Amino acid sequence: MIEPDNNAAPAPVQPRDRVLGVFSRYPSALLLLVVFSVEVGVGMFVIRDVRTASVEAQQMYARSVLGLRQIGELQYQAQETRRSTLYALTTNDSNLQVEYADQSREADRRVTDGIAEYLKQAQMPNEIEVGRGLQRDWSAYLKVRDEVLASILEGSIKEAVDMDLNGGVPSFERVRQDLEEIKRLYDQQASDQLARVGASSRRSTVRLVGVVCFTLIFATFSVWAIQRSRMLGAVQLARLQMEFVTSISHELRTPLAVIRSAAENIADGVVGGKEQLARYGSVIRNQSRQITDLVNEILLFASTRNKKNRYTLRSLQVSEIIDLAIENTAELVREAGFVVEQRVEPGLPSIIGDLSALSQCVQNLIGNAIKYSGQTRWICIHAGLDEAKIPGHREIQISVQDRGIGIDKSELPHIFEPFYRSPAVSAAQIHGTGLGLPLAQNIAEAMNGKLTVESKLGIGSTFTLHLPVAKQKQPPAAAGARGRDVVAQK
Amino acid sequence: MPRPMGRWLIIGIAASCLLGVSNRRARAGPNAPSDLPPSEQSLAIVVNTSNPVDNLSMSELRKVFLGERRHWPNGRRITLVMMEPGQPERKALIREVCQMNESDFSQHFLHGVFTGEVFVSPKTLASPVGVRKFVFNVPGAIGYVRATDVDSSVKVLRVDGRLPDDKEYGLRIPPAPAQ
Repeated sequence: MIEPDNNAAPAPVQPRDRVLGVFSRYPSALLLLVVFSVEVGVGMFVIRDVRTASVEAQQMYARSVLGLRQIGELQYQAQETRRSTLYALTTNDSNLQVEYADQSREADRRVTDGIAEYLKQAQMPNEIEVGRGLQRDWSAYLKVRDEVLASILEGSIKEAVDMDLNGGVPSFERVRQDLEEIKRLYDQQASDQLARVGASSRRSTVRLVGVVCFTLIFATFSVWAIQRSRMLGAVQLARLQMEFVTSISHELRTPLAVIRSAAENIADGVVGGKEQLARYGSVIRNQSRQITDLVNEILLFASTRNKKNRYTLRSLQVSEIIDLAIENTAELVREAGFVVEQRVEPGLPSIIGDLSALSQCVQNLIGNAIKYSGQTRWICIHAGLDEAKIPGHREIQISVQDRGIGIDKSELPHIFEPFYRSPAVSAAQIHGTGLGLPLAQNIAEAMNGKLTVESKLGIGSTFTLHLPVAKQKQPPAAAGARGRDVVAQK
Repeated sequence: MPRPMGRWLIIGIAASCLLGVSNRRARAGPNAPSDLPPSEQSLAIVVNTSNPVDNLSMSELRKVFLGERRHWPNGRRITLVMMEPGQPERKALIREVCQMNESDFSQHFLHGVFTGEVFVSPKTLASPVGVRKFVFNVPGAIGYVRATDVDSSVKVLRVDGRLPDDKEYGLRIPPAPAQ
């Protein structure tokens, strides 16, 4: 048998168990949270997809439509260059000829600028190649155009016409072909872009449908899971309530049978003498008190459960709580023949709480320790100060330790559930309502504290009540200075 | 003694004249001679920037403007550019370079073209801007404008080794006769 370390503080509940506990308490809320998170994720995914498609469409417009417009402008200005040159042929007025030459040069400047702009924007090798070819052919045409213009202005019309037919027309035709080639490239790029946007749109649609289907399936599954969880919860609650009713009936039947038997004996005149009558009266009183305590416990749990209980909060010394709990359980401890070892650290600060409620909480823990201690009739009550990790948030820990049968690891998440009783305990004919620990936990939480457990099967259990230290400074109680005071009661 | 209205009119005309002179000075470019009388400006002989010729003597210039020379040294055909009759620049050129008057000049070309002694018929343009643009467009063109109308699109020829800025430059536009 392993000796318990009485000075060691009880370890907190494992995080995994805490998560499981939270999940088992709020399954619907957690599932709804998960559904909401998935919906948000899906929404963001769809928005991103739509944005991508929009950007692709804008790029297509910018590259293809604006590019085609640019090429259209280039074609027009190139034609204007040639047209103005030919207009100069139609007049003998030198002033008009100069004016047409000016117009031709202005248009040719715009074409040259447009080609430079196209080359600046060109990215693909074939675009650059065609652009450079256009630049080359345009320069060649301009050389011929300059000669034609010079001839026209000199008055050599025939020479100008010959020059234009022999040199200007072929070189301008090459320019025209280059522009057509660029236009064809833009058409091809526009087609490619259109195909890409179409593919992107189809992809987005498929994704959207997939995501909606997934969401629907997930939501359906979530609703089903929630409903199932509720149904199982209701079934479990009904089962526990039935067990509770059975247990209560069983708890009530024994004292009632004793009371009934005693009453029948008295009525039948079996009981004779004053002394014997007094003994029967004592039996009836004890049994009726047991029934009253049981009913009180149920009513107390109901009141804490419905948050109807009104606590009287005041500054308390830890020793007051422990003393009252020991006093109230003294008879029980004595009858069971237990040794209660009390270890209260000196100079503990005070707490804010309801004395009666907190004493009830500790009494429940002592009662459980007696009930599940088996053959080892020893209980240790330890009170100490825990310096929390967060500065200014210190807490008092009151732990009740036993060397009893212990609790299986799989049972730990359920022991604070109302009406829950371990199958092993039920099988061992250990009576109880399954309300002691839930009641103690409700009281601890009502006092801004908590109740934790550490247990090993066959070794024993330690239940610890954590209570926050009162904010205002309280002088250490004189009664609290009885460190390592051992009280033995038999 | 003039009446007040007449006195103000005289003052206004005098102010306008002064303002006009100052504006013309302000418009004068780098080629404008600084020590010329305000009313007298140089006449610049301009050719295409691709023309290899930089300098012509007065006698060579006369031959060119009388159509007696057909080609430039680079083989380009010479194209004469004249301003319309009545323009001060044209008058100055005919008088200073051709040493003729307008009617002699016209007759010279009519006769020359008829007999085949003149090879080039001059082109006539209405404005200095037109002359400049014509010379810019035709590699073999030669024309004339006021020195203040010259820009980088054309090249100014030296005449007897002198540019319009030089004091000894021989081509001047006389002031317009008083009305």
